[in-house]
Amino acid sequence: MAIFSVADLHVAFGTSEVVQGVSFAVEPGKTLAIVGESGSGKSASLLGATGLLAPTATVSGSVLHKGEQLLGLPVRSLRKRRGADIGFIFQDPLSNLHPLKTIGAQIGEAITAHHRVGRQELRERVLGLLADVGIQNPAARINDYPRQFSGGMRQRVMIAAAIALNPGLIIADEPTTALDVTVQASILDLLKRIQQDHGAGMIFVSHDLAVVSDIADDVLVMRSGHVVEQAPARVIYHAPKQAYTKELLGAARLGGLAARAPEPLPPAAPKPNLLSISGVWRSFAGRSPLGGGLIRPVLQDVSFEIGENEIVGLVGESGSGKSTIGRLVAGLDQPDEGKLSMRERVYSRPGPGGIGIDRQLRSEIQVVFQDPYASLNPRRRVRSILAEPFIVGTELDAVTIRRRVQELTRDVELGEDLLDRFPAQLSGGQRQRVAIARAIALEPSLVVADEPVSALDITTQVKIIRLLQTLRQRRKLSLLFISHDLGVVSELCDRVVVLEKGVVVEAGKTATLFGSPRHPYTRKLVDAIPGKSLQESPTTQRVAAHG
Amino acid sequence: MAEVHALAGTDVLEGRSEVVRSYASLVVGALFREKSFRAGAMIITFVAAGALLAPAVAWLLGHGPTEQFRDTALTEMGLPTGPTLEFPLGADGNGRDVLVRTLYGARVSLAIAIPATTLAMFIGTAIGLVSGFLGARIDRIISQGIDVALSFPFIVTALSLLSLNRGTDGKVLVAPSVVVVLIITLFSWTYFARLTRGLVLVLRRSPLVEAAQTIGTSKARIILREILPNIAPVILVYWAVQLPTNIIAEATLSFLGVGVQAPEPSWGNMIAEAQRSSLYQVQPWFLLGPGIALFLTVAGFNTLSAGLRNVLDPHRHSG
Repeated sequence: MAIFSVADLHVAFGTSEVVQGVSFAVEPGKTLAIVGESGSGKSASLLGATGLLAPTATVSGSVLHKGEQLLGLPVRSLRKRRGADIGFIFQDPLSNLHPLKTIGAQIGEAITAHHRVGRQELRERVLGLLADVGIQNPAARINDYPRQFSGGMRQRVMIAAAIALNPGLIIADEPTTALDVTVQASILDLLKRIQQDHGAGMIFVSHDLAVVSDIADDVLVMRSGHVVEQAPARVIYHAPKQAYTKELLGAARLGGLAARAPEPLPPAAPKPNLLSISGVWRSFAGRSPLGGGLIRPVLQDVSFEIGENEIVGLVGESGSGKSTIGRLVAGLDQPDEGKLSMRERVYSRPGPGGIGIDRQLRSEIQVVFQDPYASLNPRRRVRSILAEPFIVGTELDAVTIRRRVQELTRDVELGEDLLDRFPAQLSGGQRQRVAIARAIALEPSLVVADEPVSALDITTQVKIIRLLQTLRQRRKLSLLFISHDLGVVSELCDRVVVLEKGVVVEAGKTATLFGSPRHPYTRKLVDAIPGKSLQESPTTQRVAAHG
Repeated sequence: MAEVHALAGTDVLEGRSEVVRSYASLVVGALFREKSFRAGAMIITFVAAGALLAPAVAWLLGHGPTEQFRDTALTEMGLPTGPTLEFPLGADGNGRDVLVRTLYGARVSLAIAIPATTLAMFIGTAIGLVSGFLGARIDRIISQGIDVALSFPFIVTALSLLSLNRGTDGKVLVAPSVVVVLIITLFSWTYFARLTRGLVLVLRRSPLVEAAQTIGTSKARIILREILPNIAPVILVYWAVQLPTNIIAEATLSFLGVGVQAPEPSWGNMIAEAQRSSLYQVQPWFLLGPGIALFLTVAGFNTLSAGLRNVLDPHRHSG
């Protein structure tokens, strides 16, 4: 019998109905994945069903937990169930953990909120839980504070608190989205093991079909408040019926592609060098809690080249120094040692006045930033944002600029009717198109793209990547593509540079590097790509196409 | 994303997919839907109307602001009368009309506080922009300067400056109201400078500014076109916050007898006179007239600034 079943759930905020008639059920020991993009109502339906939404939301339908109706229950009896019978794991462990309480106390609270337990027994149970979620040497860490843990470890602490009372149902809302890819893999393994050990039912909310492919028994695909498709995982992954599911799946497959065997490549002529980074070191002065400077090395002896019309991927986990390289290349930062040169001309080296970028070189290197919300001036219309590079960098008259702006919008496949909007009126994908249009306005030879798609929905990511591919061919662009997402990198890049803690550990042709990684860190990254199993499906057209 | 929220509200655009005529028209629309802005604007309109209509009221009643009516406004014992038909708020110790003087006092308050606050806003914003954007040594020097400026005690400094304004023959060199404007400016530009500097420091490292740098935009253009439009609403809100403080500062100086000089009416010197002569015990309106007017104006601007903040700077009012 289902431990948790929802029938015809509707959730509305005021007049806008964000969930319109969703039904699903979870059996003990099984995992239901709810997948959808932002705004699809996936989180709202779960929070609505468990009474966690603000009182301004109106929720109707039926929510049965162990055969008992949850909707309409008073807050107090709902609270009793949450924690004891239903464990929650959220995306951001840092904002859900109290910064001034030890993790032992916080996990203990999950127990004492529902049961009366002696101090010694409580300690024993918390230690057991910490060991269970894979925290090493729990006795030494039980009195540590959240800030002393890494993101992945914090998520383990959250999981320990969620399973403290052995709930029959675990609800995980994007639990791995904020984590690095290798950490994500370990958290997914942990969730899977814990769920099997405890025989609990689990609802796993995610925006990415790849992430849930190893863990889901059933999948529910949502879009704008509706259920698009609902079927066993096998069916969703191998014989999806709806076009939208196929689209999501196509996006998810990008990841799996990275792990395919290297193909025999046609011997390509070596591309002439455009940009070279040689022996670059960079460190930042941090501040230690006791005062006094603390030098934090970020890049150590980094060297690589980017050829003409070549896309180079720069991968690594957060804190590996990827973005610092991007800023150095763009001339926004200066190296402590080493130099950067463009077409054999050194433009950045240490010392005062070390960044020597004249107007011509300035237009040669452009940047697309990660967050199009932050890099577009909210006070200017798209037309004015796109005219800016021409006003600043050329002597063109107003009429020509107007025409060039229109051409640009066509190049990035942005509707001309959007020119008079403000950035806040555009979707994430449209905003990133504006940012790309601005970057290519002055016809640069090199564009630095720093995580340009990671803030976007997965189907939008695919479209932006297609756009970058088209632009590269049409405009003979080179691209330094910085990303933590190996799937996207393998789809787009000719060569890949792998960065670990500021050191280049491996570099090479994409297919070779991902197909037979030499360095253990590269291997770890490749192994951690979610959704590799997707590639083994015989129905995968993409694999067939690559023959 | 935290940096995005340092930018003041794009919220008026939320849920609008159509082409909007102008950003300003949206903001004005949103302002008038905001309750506290409407309430504040109403009170201020009332005060401003009073200030504008002061000569008309004086003409209607036949009482100039400095005219004395010792025969009709004072009793045989020389005490001021309470409210009558001829003197709606009664008279003061010299037989002058309290209502007319209160209305003229509004002119003085606004005529000193508005230019002083505006001047302080321009100076402070300009200094803050330069200090925050150029950073390094210039920033250190300016920040030190602000600290020094902030360490002067307002009243003592104002008193000394105003007494310096007297030449050897005891006559004032510059009109005291001008000096009061300058003193208040001197003491409030620092707040604008600090606020602006803080906002600019956040924006300077934002993708917004770096994007402008990579297309080769000059420093001046970045400051004027990218940074200023984004921090202007916050500064404007602060203008409305600072204004009532400065109205009180003017009243304080006049109360101490160094601001606007009698017989010219100002709320500060009216309150001082009522208190000094203890005549408010027989004629409470002598004190209540300017007191209520001062309260209304300050409350009006505070309410208005709360409304402005809710619309222009929505990420700040919740915490």
